[in-house]
Order: sequence, then C-alpha cells, then structure tokens
Amino acid sequence: MIDFQNVSYTHLKGRGVTNLSFSIDDGEFVFLIGPTGSGKTTLMRLIYFDLLCDSGKVNVGNFNSDRIKKNQIPLARRDIGMVFQDYHLLNDRNVFHNVALPLHVIGCDASEISYRVEDALELVGFEGKRSHYPHELSGGEKQRVTLARAIVKEPKLILADEPTGNLDPVAAFELVQLLETINNEGTTILMASHNYNLIKGRGRRIIELKDGLMRGS
Amino acid sequence: MDKFLYLISEGLKNVWRHKMTTFTAVFSLFLALYFVGLLATAGENTKSILQYLRSKYKIEVFFKQNMDLKSAKKVSDSILEVKGVRSSTVINKEDAVRIFKDQFGEDIIGVLGYNPLPISAVVNLKRNSEEMLKVAPVVSQIKKMKGVQEVRYQGHLINKIERTYARFMQLFPGVAILFISVAVLVIYNTVKLSIFSRKELIDSLKLIGATKLFIQMPFIFEGLIDGILATLISIPLIIGTVSGANYMIDNFTSWNIELTVAPMLFIWLTLLSGIISVLGSYRAVSGIMK
Repeated sequence: MIDFQNVSYTHLKGRGVTNLSFSIDDGEFVFLIGPTGSGKTTLMRLIYFDLLCDSGKVNVGNFNSDRIKKNQIPLARRDIGMVFQDYHLLNDRNVFHNVALPLHVIGCDASEISYRVEDALELVGFEGKRSHYPHELSGGEKQRVTLARAIVKEPKLILADEPTGNLDPVAAFELVQLLETINNEGTTILMASHNYNLIKGRGRRIIELKDGLMRGS
Repeated sequence: MDKFLYLISEGLKNVWRHKMTTFTAVFSLFLALYFVGLLATAGENTKSILQYLRSKYKIEVFFKQNMDLKSAKKVSDSILEVKGVRSSTVINKEDAVRIFKDQFGEDIIGVLGYNPLPISAVVNLKRNSEEMLKVAPVVSQIKKMKGVQEVRYQGHLINKIERTYARFMQLFPGVAILFISVAVLVIYNTVKLSIFSRKELIDSLKLIGATKLFIQMPFIFEGLIDGILATLISIPLIIGTVSGANYMIDNFTSWNIELTVAPMLFIWLTLLSGIISVLGSYRAVSGIMK
C-alpha cells in the first residue's frame, strides 16, 4: 500500500524527514510515533502528495511520487481518508453534508449518497444529530464525524494525524477502537500520535520517528 | 449531471450560507456599477445637452437699408452654402416691426413715424457635429457677403460652451477608463477577499480529493450571482437618479432637455460585473490552490 524508498524532504525553514525507508502492507494498522517536530506530519503529507519528496521515492497504491502529475493528485487522494487533530470539518454545513462531501467529489448520485452517509455515521457510532452543525458538537463527536467522512468513500487507506490530540482519554480510547474496527474490514490505517500510552499493548507495528529520522519499526 | 447540479446548488447555497460576505460583496459591486453607470449615462447625455444648447445658437445678419427682399433672399441662400450653417430665415421689415413690438412693447413706426428696421436673417448652425463648432469663420464669411451691414452673435457664450464640451470630450475617455479600472479592482478584490475568507473550505476540499474545477465551480457561480444581484440593485437606482435629475431640470430650469438611460448600458453593466466576478473567483481560487 505504502512504500518509502530513501525518502528525504526538507522544509524551507529546515527540518523534515531524512532517508526514510519502510513499507506498509494492504490491511495493516501501523502507528507512527514521535515527539512534536519529529516529522510525523511531514511523512503524512508526503503520503497524500501534499509534499513531493526532494529525493527518494514514495509509492502509494498505484501512484508514485516520481511520476504523479499535478492533476492526478486529487485522484490519488480519493483512495485516502484523512482524519486530523483539528477535524477540518466545514462549519457552514451540517453533519450530513460534511460526511456527504467526499461522495459528491467522486460523483455519487443522491440516493447512493444518502444511504452511504447513514452507514458511515452508524459505523462510527454517531446516531442522531445529523442535522447539527460542527459548532454544536463535542470534540469526540466532531472526531467521529471526521472519521465518518474519511470512511464514507470506502478508501483503501486512512491517515490519522494525531486524531486524539484534542480528545479526553475515554474518547481517545474509543476512537482508536473504532479505527481498529475499520481496519478489521480491510482498510489500511496509519495513525500518528505522540501518546505512547494510548497505543502500547495493541500488538500493532509502530514506526518511530525522531528529528526526521526513523528510529525503529 | 448530478455533480454539475450539485456544484450549481452549492454556489446558490453559498450565497445564503455566507450572508454577510455576500452582502459586503454585493454592496461593493453595486457601488462600483452605480458610479460606472452614472458616468456612462452622463457621457451619453452630454451629447444631447450640447445639441440642445447648439439649437439655441443664433447669428443675426442685418442687411443694408437699401437692400430689397429679393436680394436679401439671394444672400440668405448664399449663407446656406457656408459650411456649418443649418438654416437661414429671412425676416422682412414688417416682421421686424412685429418682433420689435413683441420684445420691447413699443410700436416703432408709431414712435418714429417710419420703419428704421432693416431686412435681416436669422442663421442657425448645424448641431450634430462631434467636433468643436467654430462660429468665427462662419461669421467672417457672412460678413464678406454683399449687402451685409452687421452680424451679431453670442460669440463669447458659444465659444465657452464649445470649449467646455471639447475639454469634456477630451477628458471623458480618461475619466471613464479610471472609473472602470477602479470598478474592476473593487469587484475583483471584493470577490477575492470573500473567497480568501473561505480558505479553510478550499483546503478541506483539496484534502478529500476534489479537482480544481470542482472547487472553483461553486465560487464562480457564486461570483456570478453576486454580480447579477449588484446589477439588479444598481439598475433601478441609476434609473431613479436620472429621473430625479429630469425632475430637477423640469422644475428648476428653463431647459427643455430630457436625460435618458440607454438600455444597452444594463447589458454592459451585467457583462462587466459578471465577467469580472467570474474572473476574480477563478483567479482567487487558483491562487489559494497553488
């Protein structure tokens, strides 16, 4: 699913990632850990082609950082669901329309959108409140909606960048459980976190970053 | 088709979702269009005002006392051939007495015992010329004609009007370009600001794999709606302002002028606001997406 070959990227202001090589297989659940500034978000951005590496090669599904064209990037992202610490929900539309958005992007028709949104919301345990706006939801609820939006298009890969950062311990624990449930359906998951306590003992592979370098896998 | 309809409906919904932004954008667009519309109307009507004033220009030609009516008419025909002359009307001695009585209330024959007024001609000038009308050469040619005793005309006033018109026509294109440029900048930047305020939406759409066209379409459509709304508000206000000006002219001046608004103006204003809004939206979204 994901293959990094000697990947390096340096931001204009310095830092980034250096010489990363690793692979993540289809259906794997991998945690990415490391302190703030260790390169976790840079690595994620390289996966969804928001950044293109300075050297090395990133393969994600059928797309390759060497050959990908600008107009192919949206297509590559359609196979990826993303969950962020700060939710990235649109405040001007309700839960239903937030979750439906990726389906409009891929061109689903209205009837299909309706039941797929319902399914996604049910899967993440978000019942009712579908006409509520993001500002009317708690942090945990927002993150569930974000997760529903990520899975509604049935992506092959979910990238979760510090998704528990703004959640209380109970909500954070429930979110990781939800991700595991989704992974059991066959979706590859890469979750970045600096909360080691949350991920230890889950029997998942952990990639550790520090100062942009891979410390272990 | 579903996708296209969705994008159009998103454009419409955005107008409602972002009421304050829409209000600001439409108000700025309206102001720009209103002033451009008024300037265009002023330019359009200046010509008819000038034609009205030119219709009042009058050159009075007095013939020598001994000239008979037949000879006077011959000279009048020669006057008609002078470049810039529209009409020449001969006034015989009897008509001159009547006009004198109308103007001064005195019967000059009753006072003097004879008619001292000569045969004369009233000459009007062509009024449709785009160029500055020069009266002096016309007068000079008339003065040289046989039998002409004296030529009277409002030389100073005519020159002043013609000079003012010429200066106006000289400055108008520059002022129009300046106005339109300011309007274009206002419209463009208003649209741009309203889109930048929704950078978060664009970023989110990018992350979920939306194409450039998918992101741009609702904004372009929204810009078009803003432009049309602003035009719809500015049109009745331009008409109202011109009607107000006509009311003032009718009631507070002796001018017989009616200002008009060219229907084409509304098409131009719609096109101006529509095209600039669409281009502004397109460029602003492209800028954010880089």
